[in-house]
Amino acid sequence: MSLLLCRQEHVSHPYFMESLGIHLYSSQEIAYVIYHYPLLVLDGFVGDGLFAFMREELDQGFLALKLERWLKSGERVDDVLVLLLQEIGYCTQSEVTQFRQLMEDLRKKHAAELKKMKADELFSMRQYGRAVELYEELLMVPADTYVNDEFRGRVWNNLGSCYARMFQLEKAFDAYEKAYNRIGQIQILEQLYELSQIDSRLKLGDRLTALVTEERKAEWDEKMKQAREKAAESEQLRELEQLFRKDPIKRQAGEAELLRKWKQEYRSMV
Amino acid sequence: MEELVVGIDLCDAYTQINCLDEEKTWTFPTVICKNKNSDEWYVGEEAYAHTLLGDGIIVDKLVKLVLKDGTATLGEVRYEGRDLLRRYLERVLQFPEQEYGRFQVQQLVIAVPKLDARLLDILYACTAELGLEREHVHVISHAESFTYYILSQKKEIWSNAVGLFDLSEERLRYYELKVQRGMKKTTVLTEYEELEEAFNLDILNSASGAKLADRILCSCGERLMQRKLYSAVFMTGKGFLKRDWAEDFMKLLCTKRRVYMETALFARGAAYRAMDFLHEKTSYPYTCICEGRLKSTISMNVLHKGQETPVVVAAAGDNWYERVATIDVIPDQQNTVDFIVTPLDAKQKKNVSIPLEGFPKRPERTTRVQIQISFLDERTMDVKLKDQGFGELFPSSGVEIRQEVMV
Repeated sequence: MSLLLCRQEHVSHPYFMESLGIHLYSSQEIAYVIYHYPLLVLDGFVGDGLFAFMREELDQGFLALKLERWLKSGERVDDVLVLLLQEIGYCTQSEVTQFRQLMEDLRKKHAAELKKMKADELFSMRQYGRAVELYEELLMVPADTYVNDEFRGRVWNNLGSCYARMFQLEKAFDAYEKAYNRIGQIQILEQLYELSQIDSRLKLGDRLTALVTEERKAEWDEKMKQAREKAAESEQLRELEQLFRKDPIKRQAGEAELLRKWKQEYRSMV
Repeated sequence: MEELVVGIDLCDAYTQINCLDEEKTWTFPTVICKNKNSDEWYVGEEAYAHTLLGDGIIVDKLVKLVLKDGTATLGEVRYEGRDLLRRYLERVLQFPEQEYGRFQVQQLVIAVPKLDARLLDILYACTAELGLEREHVHVISHAESFTYYILSQKKEIWSNAVGLFDLSEERLRYYELKVQRGMKKTTVLTEYEELEEAFNLDILNSASGAKLADRILCSCGERLMQRKLYSAVFMTGKGFLKRDWAEDFMKLLCTKRRVYMETALFARGAAYRAMDFLHEKTSYPYTCICEGRLKSTISMNVLHKGQETPVVVAAAGDNWYERVATIDVIPDQQNTVDFIVTPLDAKQKKNVSIPLEGFPKRPERTTRVQIQISFLDERTMDVKLKDQGFGELFPSSGVEIRQEVMV
């Protein structure tokens, strides 16, 4: 139990962290994203932009210079990140040690696996557009013992999920088809079936249609029905209904705000 | 051009002005008079003169008028008390300005008998309207003014306790200054007692009244000063301008100690304080505890670079009116903000915990709390805790808690 003392940092131009699509306003937030999103800070996070932010906005010129020199002298990015965590003092010593170990473990991984982990992390952060870029890059990686059909199948599957969440259903359908052709998982067939039910233009080929047995169809239809019912009871929908019950002036203001929120959400996704 | 360093003793009955480097002290009744036929204003004796001539309307007890939010109608215009006080101060300041040919005030310290937050606000507002910058104006108590006056004298004057009797038309007060050496920092403690035995100075005009007054002071002196070791005793106030009526009291005071009469003690003390504000490093490196200053140190235990460190948010001896502090903390596995209040007697140390009620639940270390501290008086700390969120990762909820803490 304790209270962490924060430096007085008067930031007028926050640092934009592209991979998360958010602005960072303090050194504690920098430490937070380093510690909680190691995959997103492995490459491209530490650099001139961050150093300039530390120098000009956080009044941490000395530390920025130290890190800059470290990096130029050939030190690994991982060590710079560890030093940054130590200097900011947001994480405990054991957390810093844990982070250092995690970095070492990550560096031992196959480059394609690391990239896929990063893309998956972006996916979990609803940064679908950025995840798509990485998945597409992964599909261009030459085959080896790790990058095999199964790996590519998993990448196609995740790519399909990204497109589906961005409402790009045709692309999603295409990606799921490719994924199914490589790994043949029944869950992927289920996704394809659901997409074909949502968008009538998307048709399952004969081969796939044959695989959707009556039993499976009934099970998946039931699942979709339940999902629709659950969505109908969601808090967001209730809020929307309440909004439409308001008088026109208040409704208009509420609609504008909601639309702005949705647009912002969608833009940060893609 | 040289600038003025001014000390003012502002009371309801009289005002005194002293510029330290000059010997002269001006004393006026605290009254302002407006000419019936023009927009001319007079202060002090001139105000009385115009009133007697019949071409002026006078307003007295300006401080009381201001404190009760009063107004005065002069001619056909109604003036707010605070407006009259501003005009009064403007004219009063013209005396040293014209005498010394210096028209810029570099530091102004106003000493008042009792510090009241409203009076402080009004005095700062008035001086701001006169074009004086906030950092060049300070308002202190008579107790603080006495402290600075004494500490500016030779050390032997304050090697032991120093007493002060202030006898004026408004009050009879006894002040006592004690120096506690041998602590980390020498502490100077000044306290005062408002004596119920106060009397109207008019009684001094008759022989029997004077005798009664002498007896009253003797009994006060015996009660207040018995069994104490004084290095000096001072007298101030209109009542002591003549002392022939206080024969027995003078005998009582002048026993094995120095006794001084200082007519402008509070104005001079204020001027010493003003002079000290000019210096980057104070000439009074002591913890001064008196009216207007905090009597306890308020600190917090925080984690800084992995080490638990105490952070002082307000120290004993700080001017409570001017003390404001803002610090940001991030709670880690705790949902309270805790303060440690340490009075001079450290045994009476106490902990004050303010729960972060209404703050949203978030993962550990993702709530930044802004703590704003100010004081409503020397015993009441005003604490504001504001949820700052954690950037765009966990936006602020805007929740704010306000609590008064007795210190």
